[in-house]
Amino acid sequence: MRFDAVIIGGGYAGCTVAGILSDAGLKVCVVSEGLSLAVSGSKTPYAAQAALQKHGVTVLRGDRAMGAKVQDGRVLGVETRNLGFGTILEADFYILATGKFFSRGLLSDKEHIWEPVFGADVEYSSDRTTWYDEDFSAPQPFMDFGVKTDASARVLVDGKALENLYAAGDIVAKGCKEANVTKLIEDYARRDK
Amino acid sequence: MTSKEYDVIIVGGGITGAATARDCALRGLSTLLIERGDICDGASGRNHGLLHSGARYAVTDREGAEECIRENRILRRIASNCVEPTEGLFISLPEDGLDYQANFIAKCREAGIDAQAIDPAEALRLEPAINPRIIGAVKVPDASVDPFRLVDAHILDAQRHGADIKKFTAVASLVKEGGRVVGVKTAAGEVIRSREVVLAAGIWTAGLAREAGVNIGMMPSKGALVIFGHRIANMVINRCRKPANADILVPGDVVSVLGTTSDKVPIETCDDMRATPAEVDLLLREGEQLVPSLAHTRIIRAYAGVRPLVVADPAGDGRNVSRGIVLLDHEERDGVPGLITITGGKLTTSRLMAQMATDLVCKKVGSSAVCRTADLPLPGSEGRKPSFEDPFVERAAIGRHGTEVSRMDFGKGGEILCECEHVTRAEIAYAVEHFGVRNISDLRRHTRIGMGTCQGSFCIRSVATALAEILSPDPRSAAKLSDEFVSQYRQERWKGITPVLWGDTLREAEYMQKVNGNEI
Repeated sequence: MRFDAVIIGGGYAGCTVAGILSDAGLKVCVVSEGLSLAVSGSKTPYAAQAALQKHGVTVLRGDRAMGAKVQDGRVLGVETRNLGFGTILEADFYILATGKFFSRGLLSDKEHIWEPVFGADVEYSSDRTTWYDEDFSAPQPFMDFGVKTDASARVLVDGKALENLYAAGDIVAKGCKEANVTKLIEDYARRDK
Repeated sequence: MTSKEYDVIIVGGGITGAATARDCALRGLSTLLIERGDICDGASGRNHGLLHSGARYAVTDREGAEECIRENRILRRIASNCVEPTEGLFISLPEDGLDYQANFIAKCREAGIDAQAIDPAEALRLEPAINPRIIGAVKVPDASVDPFRLVDAHILDAQRHGADIKKFTAVASLVKEGGRVVGVKTAAGEVIRSREVVLAAGIWTAGLAREAGVNIGMMPSKGALVIFGHRIANMVINRCRKPANADILVPGDVVSVLGTTSDKVPIETCDDMRATPAEVDLLLREGEQLVPSLAHTRIIRAYAGVRPLVVADPAGDGRNVSRGIVLLDHEERDGVPGLITITGGKLTTSRLMAQMATDLVCKKVGSSAVCRTADLPLPGSEGRKPSFEDPFVERAAIGRHGTEVSRMDFGKGGEILCECEHVTRAEIAYAVEHFGVRNISDLRRHTRIGMGTCQGSFCIRSVATALAEILSPDPRSAAKLSDEFVSQYRQERWKGITPVLWGDTLREAEYMQKVNGNEI
């Protein structure tokens, strides 16, 4: 299946980017893990879905990106749990918007934190005792962890940016937040048309 | 300010103090139990919840093993609502060999513990989660006990037999007149007189005694534990080897508790006990030998308590330490009449400890009343459990409070506020009325509110509001109180979550942060 853009994650970041890109006339696919889009409220998720679909966005609900095909610094395709049988989602570019720990955008064990779809570089320390503050109401260091990007919000893997993979929303490490993905993608979209 | 003179004042609202207060009250002594915080604030609320069969001690401590099995049988009878007769397994792994097992079974039987070797295949059929590499298994009458429920039941019974319970009242010092202890002075300056004072304050006993010029050499021994969010096994799982770290997994309600460690810690740290990430790592490394699936089971939190061990020789290096019951008659031992200490021992042997202390109190005050605590059932465990009108609303409350649910008004307060543990408004009102609950931590100890799998993530605001409304008639101060309860609760839970903050627990922590409004 071929799209202009594939967005992994159907939360606020993913839905917003999908809206902008489809508005700009791109053929967009959103992969969202929940049975409804991951925005709060009892009706909002369905309203958001209807609005996106009206703009021609393909929404794959209850599905999950399992891995990616990467070659020469470019993402060639993403596999999902439900499509299976070698079907991959192909696109000119991809947006990683899977959120942090709660939405499983980041996984962790006692010593490691990793991003499971692309194996992106994650900003964190391997010493677990630095992940938290003893005071619950203080800012928690783990809330700042996330994937590293370059200044154009392109995701780093092994220290090098993949040229067509961008990160948006909560999954971005605090130190890389200043890279504004929506603006960049919008420019990209206009240029392409 | 003076008040009436009691026959006996018991200092400490853990299981030892509560059981002693019950025994004293049942023997007709005028009794006061005084506790600086809420009941179960110390080791009684920070343990495994294991009703020992005595098997663990059979090889190393015959007397302790015999005490355990006798008391185990008594508590199953008098505290049926607090005990879940799960039974226990002692499993042998290849590296343990079977020599220990043969001796273990023989020693258990000598101590009167029914220990039955069973086929490893049968053990795996009974408990599929245990390590499949086992080469041997022994079935023993271990059980699971809810320590909060057990202490509550003792407190209720003591009260119903005339004892006074003063919580949130710290004892500043013991009052001495002419070399004799004649009562206690509270932190607020109130002097309360009694003929005998019994110290049952766990590790905090030594400090109180020192005030009165009595030296008890105590060694605080820290034990850390981890709670898993599932009932991984239905029996108590032990390792059949010399007792060591992290070799017992105990089921309790819908969770499992793995423990423990044993490390000498400075006495100053005992007021703020917390498990460390290093202790958690050690517990998991060892625990995975017992039950491999612990490696990827969701962890709820970790906590730690302090065993009040008594050093026979205070000048010694701590090796000569007994885990047995220690009853000190300070009149004979130190020439300080009016003062008795009961410490050491175990949750399992608490009734016996209370009996020993009360026997001595009776001797001192000239009473010949006999002990009846082994025969009279505790509140909540009297006869058959009541049937329920609405199983959805009442079943959990009956599980927790047994026959006591007759005092709860489900018609008026049937709304469930804590969904993990099914705690209703009626149960909260009951806890406030009967246990003098003042804050949300107290409420947790008496109802299990917020102790379930969500750890209060979903319910804590509505629970805090309900409690604040009962405690404070003024809506504005109730709202303020509710806010305090929420942040107090979050902070208290956070202490146990940080040492296990990875995997699913980290997922939930992010959610908690967002729900709490710290981020979003």
